[in-house]
Amino acid sequence: MNARGAIDRRREAPYESAGQLYWLVGAVVLSAFPHTPYVNPWIPAMVTCIALWRIILASRRGPLPPGWIRVPLTIIAFAGVLLTYRKVSGLDAGSSLLLVMAALKLLETRGRRDRAVVVFICYFLLFATFLREQAVWSPIYLCLAVWLATTALVQTARSGTSMPIRMSLMLSARIILQALPLMALLFLLFPRVPGPFWALPQTAARATVGLSESMQPGDITQLALSDKIAFRARFTGPKPASADLYWRGPVLGKFDGRGWQHGGSGFFPDLVNRVSAAGTQVSYDITLEPSGQRWLLALETPVEWDAPRAFVNSNFVLKRFSRVDRRLTYNAKSQLNGTTPGNLPGAARTFNTELPAGRNPRTVAWARERYAQSGDNRSYLQGLLNHFQDQPFFYTLTPPALGSEAVDEFLFDTREGFCGHYASAFAVLARAAGIPARIVTGYQGGELNPWGGHWVIRQADAHAWVEVWLDDRWERIDPTAAVAPDRIEFGMDTAVDRGTIAGAELRRASALLEQLALSWDAINAAWNRWVLAFGPENQASLLEWLGIREPNTRHLVALLTAGTLLSLSWLAWQFQGGQPKPDPLERAYALLCRRTARLFRARYPQETATEYAEAAAQHLPEIGNELQHLFRQYNELRYENTAEKDPGGLKRTRAFAERVRAFKPARPPEVARPA
Amino acid sequence: MFPVVKRTTSRLQNHLRRWITSRQGIDPRELKLDSGRIYILPTRAGIIFAAIIFTMLVGAMNYNNNMGFALVFLLTGIAIVSIHHCHGNLKGLQIIALGAEPVFVGGSWQFRFALRDPARRARWQVAVSWDRGKPQFAELSALGETTVKLSHAACARGLAAAPRMLISTRYPLGLLRAWAWINMDLSGLAYPRPATSSTGEASGDYGQRDQGRAATGDDDFSGLRPWRPGDPTRRIAWKALARSGEKLISEYKAGLPAPRWIDWHSETAPDLEQQLSQLVHRVLSADAEGWEFGLRLPTQTVPPGRGPRHRHECLKALALMDGTSAA
Repeated sequence: MNARGAIDRRREAPYESAGQLYWLVGAVVLSAFPHTPYVNPWIPAMVTCIALWRIILASRRGPLPPGWIRVPLTIIAFAGVLLTYRKVSGLDAGSSLLLVMAALKLLETRGRRDRAVVVFICYFLLFATFLREQAVWSPIYLCLAVWLATTALVQTARSGTSMPIRMSLMLSARIILQALPLMALLFLLFPRVPGPFWALPQTAARATVGLSESMQPGDITQLALSDKIAFRARFTGPKPASADLYWRGPVLGKFDGRGWQHGGSGFFPDLVNRVSAAGTQVSYDITLEPSGQRWLLALETPVEWDAPRAFVNSNFVLKRFSRVDRRLTYNAKSQLNGTTPGNLPGAARTFNTELPAGRNPRTVAWARERYAQSGDNRSYLQGLLNHFQDQPFFYTLTPPALGSEAVDEFLFDTREGFCGHYASAFAVLARAAGIPARIVTGYQGGELNPWGGHWVIRQADAHAWVEVWLDDRWERIDPTAAVAPDRIEFGMDTAVDRGTIAGAELRRASALLEQLALSWDAINAAWNRWVLAFGPENQASLLEWLGIREPNTRHLVALLTAGTLLSLSWLAWQFQGGQPKPDPLERAYALLCRRTARLFRARYPQETATEYAEAAAQHLPEIGNELQHLFRQYNELRYENTAEKDPGGLKRTRAFAERVRAFKPARPPEVARPA
Repeated sequence: MFPVVKRTTSRLQNHLRRWITSRQGIDPRELKLDSGRIYILPTRAGIIFAAIIFTMLVGAMNYNNNMGFALVFLLTGIAIVSIHHCHGNLKGLQIIALGAEPVFVGGSWQFRFALRDPARRARWQVAVSWDRGKPQFAELSALGETTVKLSHAACARGLAAAPRMLISTRYPLGLLRAWAWINMDLSGLAYPRPATSSTGEASGDYGQRDQGRAATGDDDFSGLRPWRPGDPTRRIAWKALARSGEKLISEYKAGLPAPRWIDWHSETAPDLEQQLSQLVHRVLSADAEGWEFGLRLPTQTVPPGRGPRHRHECLKALALMDGTSAA
């Protein structure tokens, strides 16, 4: 477009009125607000300054800042973002860029389209907000922010003056309400393509607190301080006892003398047919928070699951091929007890009895001595548990730091530890005696939410226990239970003095608060489960529920098309909407015009009430005064704002209608006389 | 590249316009817009909006962000709903052409149009313009009715057809533009431009006017009679009007002089248009003086008369004067 075209366009689309600008600034402020805690403080400060500047300019009807101010300002702002974040991708840098763009665009709102672009940036900022957080209140914020931004769009799409505030708010509310069914339809039926196309923002990785595939002394202690929810579970059938709730996570078989790792060579085919028909099975749904890891949690031992692309590995850990980057809902079935014996292959036996040579010498020597005394595997292990119970071992969240010979130091010097310490020591003691043993990490217990009927498992419920090969099967032994049986029976809170656990204090502060917290969590659970975890699997089950066998994407598209057409025709019907009944004032006015027309002539369509009344009065001088009075009254009722005292001018309208009905002028004789 | 695009689009537009004209034909002067003639397309802002929705959709898919999906789908719904609002803002609107008063060449006709909604709905931001002209924005409150004036320059005397009308709206969100072309076959009458002074043979005319002045001298004042349409403003008894509020006309004993004739052949100008201009000037001054006068043209004779109606008849005759028959 050439320069003249641009100038013409600007002239054609005049500057906005101050009223329109306030809407624009309001929309920018509301959509920028949730970003302020996350971005560098200079950015919100700049946005505020520019918004204020723009408002002052608008209220003084001053001109927009000239190019020699705007261009350097733009360069400085973008350079500032680049210097602050050293990149333009990523959530923080990206939203900073959007904020800066919105603010700078406010300074050059020359035409309708410029103003529309400001609102579009607001929509984008809103989108970025949801990448940061999708809490239960998000839909409320979504509706409010879209409402305000859309009202700003309604206002700024106008040329010149703004619409009355109430009217514009009602209009955009109407548009949004009409759009909601379409939104629901699209949300439910728009085919969801699984999997990310490019790298996820850093928040997914940064925010992940949870189990990992290695365990150093004290690792789980850090988790225990986190009140963050790991997952929620809801049992569909019988509910197991709290002591049976061992949520199995990664199995660690490789010991380096200090910590445990998921051994690279640990995938030995575990040929044991672990599950027997005799055990109790429980079925449950799990809503897993994004962990950034590849394992899914399930009760020991998972036998059935409906999570897509998931499998149970040789360690009986439920895993999947891709990382859990979003909230995931799946159903699983587990067998709580009763396993059938099997064979442990030689390589697996070696792997699970391996201890690094020369490490923790005191432990190894002590173990061999005790094993020689007991002779029998089971009594040896029982003896170890008794040792933990009888000797002054303490279960604490703040264990002293351990050096390189961690197990030696723990067993013989500090004797204070958390579940990881006990599990680690127990496994080393078992291995020293030649009994295959490995560490299982996961979560134990959880908190039952009576409102939602589901279990909430927090990172604080992270746990580590031991599996030993006894009687030709892997058997779970939880040495922590020997030290702090309450931990297993009643959960974390009763086992330790919980002064340090974040949020737990508050949760326990009072019964009422606890109830509130529980009901809030129930809402959150439902939100996560039904809205945020909604994905391709749910769409498939929705289609199945609708009676479609073997649902696929084509069914979704067909259903979506049908639904959209249906709602569109509903909308069209709404706009058809027949002829609304004229209001009483219009009816009375029509009657008045008819009565006048009988004596004079019909009102021309272009004639205003006043013009018609004047012409009629001149023609009919006898009733001229009354005629003019009635028409004047109509004008007053129609065009004067009587809303405050008499809403809608209803009383006066009725009186007017009464007067019109009473107005029955006789045909003047000279007109009636035939020519 | 851009000029090519521009040329192509303008050619396409012209083609489209011709097609629309042939499709719609000539519209009546009182017209109700129905769906058949309302066209709707996204504006550039609408295209940007669609691009933004698409970008956000890809983002929501990538991050599997269900609130993001919700936002994207809500905005999609809003865009779809706004199609109905935009279309509905024009549909059922009634346009009544009220015509334009004649003007002199060089002036502009003010074509007036009444917009009303028989279904009594509010209409916002209805832009009324000539095709490719500058729009006038009209708003109809519920039950309201409004008049829009479109001006069109009068370049030559005589009757001239008004261009095609365009009625459009971007309501409510500016994402879409609905429009309708209206071809009502309206025309405006342009009187020839008056000459600044009459240069023709003026003696007789001016002499007579002097006599007229004498005849209307104060001495001959005979009384007042009620005002009738056509009486010159000059002779309104202003004092009496101020006193009684009634328009009265001073009458003179001498009565009015005999009607005079403004004759085509009494003016000699180098060409037809100048000749007409001078005649217009004389008609105007005769009218302003309040004379009873007639107009004699080679093709037509306007019998003597007076008042605005008569003035219009004379000017119209001059405006429509056929150049070939004058020679």
